[in-house]
Amino acid sequence: MNTLNVQLFDLTTLLFGGATGTYIAAMYGKKETLARIGTWICVAAAIVSTAALVVRWVESYKMGIGRIPVTNLYESLVFFAWSVNLFYLFVEWKYKNRAFGAFVIPIAFLTMLFAFTNESGIQPLVPALQSYWLHAHVITCFVGYAAFAVSAGVAVMYLLKARQEEARTTEGIIARFPSSKVLDDLVYRSIIWGFPFLTAGIITGAAWANYAWGTYWSWDPKETWSLIVWLVYAAFLHARITRGWHGTRAAILSIAGFLATIMCYLGVNLVLSGLHSYGS
Amino acid sequence: METVSEVRTEHAPVSATTERVHAKPFATVVWNFLISVKLAIWVIIVLAVTSILGTVIEQNQPPEKYRQVYEDWAYNLMDRINLFDMYHSWWFLLLLCLFTLNLTCCTIDRLPRVIRTVRKPKLTLDDAMEKSLPLTERWKSKGDIPRRMEDYKAALARVFAAPKVTEADGVVHLYAEKGVSSRFGAYATHAGIVIVFIGAIIGNVFGYKSYVNIPDGKEASHLDARGGKEHIDLPFSVRNNRFWVETYPSGQPKKYASDLSVIESGREVLRKTITVNDPLVYKGVWFYQSSYGQEGGATAQVAVSRQDGTPGGNLSLAPNEPVRIDGYGVVRGVNYEQNFQGKGPALQVVIEKPGQPAADLWILQGQPDLDRRRNDSLVFSFGGLTAKMYTGLQVAKDPGVNVVWLGCLLLTEGMMISFFVSHRRIWIRLAEGPHGKVEVTAAGSANRNRPAFEKTFASVLAEVRKDPSNTEKENPA
Ligand code: HEM
Repeated sequence: MNTLNVQLFDLTTLLFGGATGTYIAAMYGKKETLARIGTWICVAAAIVSTAALVVRWVESYKMGIGRIPVTNLYESLVFFAWSVNLFYLFVEWKYKNRAFGAFVIPIAFLTMLFAFTNESGIQPLVPALQSYWLHAHVITCFVGYAAFAVSAGVAVMYLLKARQEEARTTEGIIARFPSSKVLDDLVYRSIIWGFPFLTAGIITGAAWANYAWGTYWSWDPKETWSLIVWLVYAAFLHARITRGWHGTRAAILSIAGFLATIMCYLGVNLVLSGLHSYGS
Repeated sequence: METVSEVRTEHAPVSATTERVHAKPFATVVWNFLISVKLAIWVIIVLAVTSILGTVIEQNQPPEKYRQVYEDWAYNLMDRINLFDMYHSWWFLLLLCLFTLNLTCCTIDRLPRVIRTVRKPKLTLDDAMEKSLPLTERWKSKGDIPRRMEDYKAALARVFAAPKVTEADGVVHLYAEKGVSSRFGAYATHAGIVIVFIGAIIGNVFGYKSYVNIPDGKEASHLDARGGKEHIDLPFSVRNNRFWVETYPSGQPKKYASDLSVIESGREVLRKTITVNDPLVYKGVWFYQSSYGQEGGATAQVAVSRQDGTPGGNLSLAPNEPVRIDGYGVVRGVNYEQNFQGKGPALQVVIEKPGQPAADLWILQGQPDLDRRRNDSLVFSFGGLTAKMYTGLQVAKDPGVNVVWLGCLLLTEGMMISFFVSHRRIWIRLAEGPHGKVEVTAAGSANRNRPAFEKTFASVLAEVRKDPSNTEKENPA
C-alpha cells in the first residue's frame, strides 16, 4: 500500500493523462470547450501535485528524516512535471491560447509515467546530500529544465505552423495555432527564463560541491553535460541576437537544447553509467 | 523576419573597424575575425561538442583499463591527443583561450561605443530619426511652447522619467529614458565569465588539494598532496578529538562527524565539529569530512578483578597480541563473535601460565561473572570491542574561489539585466505650428520587449496629453 503522497502523485499522473487526451481531442475536434476542460484538469493537477509535494515533505518529517522532497530520481521527476505544468499554465494564461497544451502537457504526462516506474519510497538522505545548496541546486535546475521543455514543445508547434504558412493553407488543427511570429517569440521567451535558472542551477551545484568536497568543478559527466546544455542555449541566444537567427533555425536549436537537457538529466545516469562500467 | 520581442540586432553597434578596412589589411582581417560573434558561436558549439567526448570516455583512468577496451592503435591515437584527460589537454585549453580572446576583443570593440551612446544620448528628435523609430505620435496643442514644455516635462517626470530639455532654433526637445543598465547586461555577463576563468587560474596556480588521515586523539600538520608527489607543511596542526558516525533507525548512515581542533603554537585556536557539508576553515585552508576508517584492528576491552571482587585494572587486547600480567601469565584475545551461541558478543581468550597447559575460554559481554567459575586467582570479563577510528579529511586551499563566486554573481546579474531590463526612450518635440498652436511630435523606442513598451508608450502619452493644466485650457471654465 502506497503512502498518501504517492497516491496523490498517481492521481496527478491520471490528471495529466486526462489533460493530454483532452487537449489533443480539442485540437482535432476544434472544440474550445474541450480545451477549457483541459485547462481545468491542469489546474486540478497543479493543486493535487502541490498537495502531494507538501504531504511528502510532512511524511518525511513524521518518519524522522525530514527533508525537502527533491532529492532522488522519483522526486526530481515529479518536481519537473510540477514545474512544467505551472510554467505551462502561466504561458496559457499569458497568451490566452490553449493550443500549447497538446504539445507541452504530454511532456509532463510522460515524465509522470516514467516516475511511476521508479522507486517512490522516502529514503533518508545520505550525509553528502544534506545541504541547503542541494535544495537550491535542484529547484533552480528543474525550473530551468521546465522552461526549456515548454520552449521545445512550442518549437515543434512553430515548425508545423511555419510549414503551413509557407504552403498558404489554413486547414486543420495547425491553423488554430497562434501565428508563427507569436510561437517564435515564445520559444525565445521561455529560453530567457530557463537560461538564468540553469545558470543559477550550475552555480549552486558548484557551490554545493565546493562545500562538500572542496572542488567546485571536476568535469564529471553530469557537470559537463550541464555545461553542454548551457553552451547550446548560449549559442542560441547569440545566434538570435547578433545574427538574427529566428524561426526555423532557432526552433531547431531549442529542440537540440532540450535533447541535451534530457541527456544531462537522465542520459548521464542511464546511458553513460553503462559505458563507464567498461564491461566489468 | 521581424519578431515581437527583442530587436537588438537593429541597435547592435556596427563595428568600428569597418572604417579602417584599407589601412592595415592583415591586422584588420585578424581583428575582424577575433571580434566576430560568428566565431563566438562556432567556438561555443565546438566546446559543447568536444565536451561530449570526455563524458563518453571515462577520464583519468589507469592505462591498463583503457587497453582492455581499445585496440592498440586506437589507444595510441587517443592517448596522443589527450583524450583520456581531455579537459586539461592543450587543444581544449587552446579553445578556451580562443573563447576568452574572442570575448575580450569583442568587448574592446563594442563597449566604448555603448558607453559613448549612453553618456551622450541623442537628445533631439530629428526627421530622420522620427522616420526610423517604430513608435511615433503627433498632435497639436494650444498654448505656447514654454508652457507646454513645463507641463510635459512634469508629466513625463511623474509617469516615466525626468526628461532632459534641449532647445535648438526655437524647437524644444524633451528626452527621457529608463533602464539604461540594459545596455550593459551582456557586458557584465561576459566580464563575469572572464572573472570565473581568472578565479580558476588563481586556484590552480596558488592552491592545492590534499588529503590526510588523522587517528582519534592525534594531530597532523603534514599533508600528502594528491598522488603523493608533493608534501605540504601547514603552519598549524589539526587534532582529531573524535570521529563518529550516526545512523538512521534503519542503519543507514545519517552523519559523519569529526570534532576537530586547530592547534597553533601549542594553543588551541579554533574548535569545530565538521560534517560532510560543513567544513572547517582556518587561514584559507579548508578541511572536509571525506572518509573514515579503523586505525589498526579493533581492540577488546577486558576488565580484570580478583576472586574477592576487588578490581585489578583493564586490559586492551589487540587481536592475537599477547599481554603479560606480572605474576600471573600471558593473555591473548584470539577470536571474537558478534553473537556467540545466541548469547551476544563474546571474546575467546587464551591464558598461558608458566608450566601449565594453556586455558582456552569464551567470555561473554553480557555475563561479567561467568569467568568466576574457573576459580582462578583473576577473573576476566569482556567489556566489548572498541575500534580506534581515524577521520579522512580532504584538505583544500583555493585562493581563487571567491573570485569565482564573484564572477558567477556578476554573470547571473548581468544576464537578468540583459533579459529583463529594457532600455526605453521617449522623445517629445515641440515646434511652432500654424494658428498659434504647438505642433507636438512624440517618439519612442525600446531595445527589448516591444509589445510591453507599446503599452507603456501609449499610457505615458495619454498621461502627458491629459495634463490637468492642458485640460483646463481646452475647456475654459
Ligand atoms: C558561453 C558564454 C557566453 C554567455 C553565457 C554569454 C551571454 C550573453 C548574454 C546573456 C547576452 C545578452 C543576450 C540578450 O540580450 O538576449 C549576450 C550578448 C552578447 N554576447 Fe555573449 N555570452 C557568451 C559568450 C560570448 C562570446 C565568446 C562573445 C564573443 C564575441 C559574445 C558576444 C556577445 C555579443 C556581441 C552580445 C550582444 C551584446 C549586445 O548587443 O547587447 N558572447 N551574451
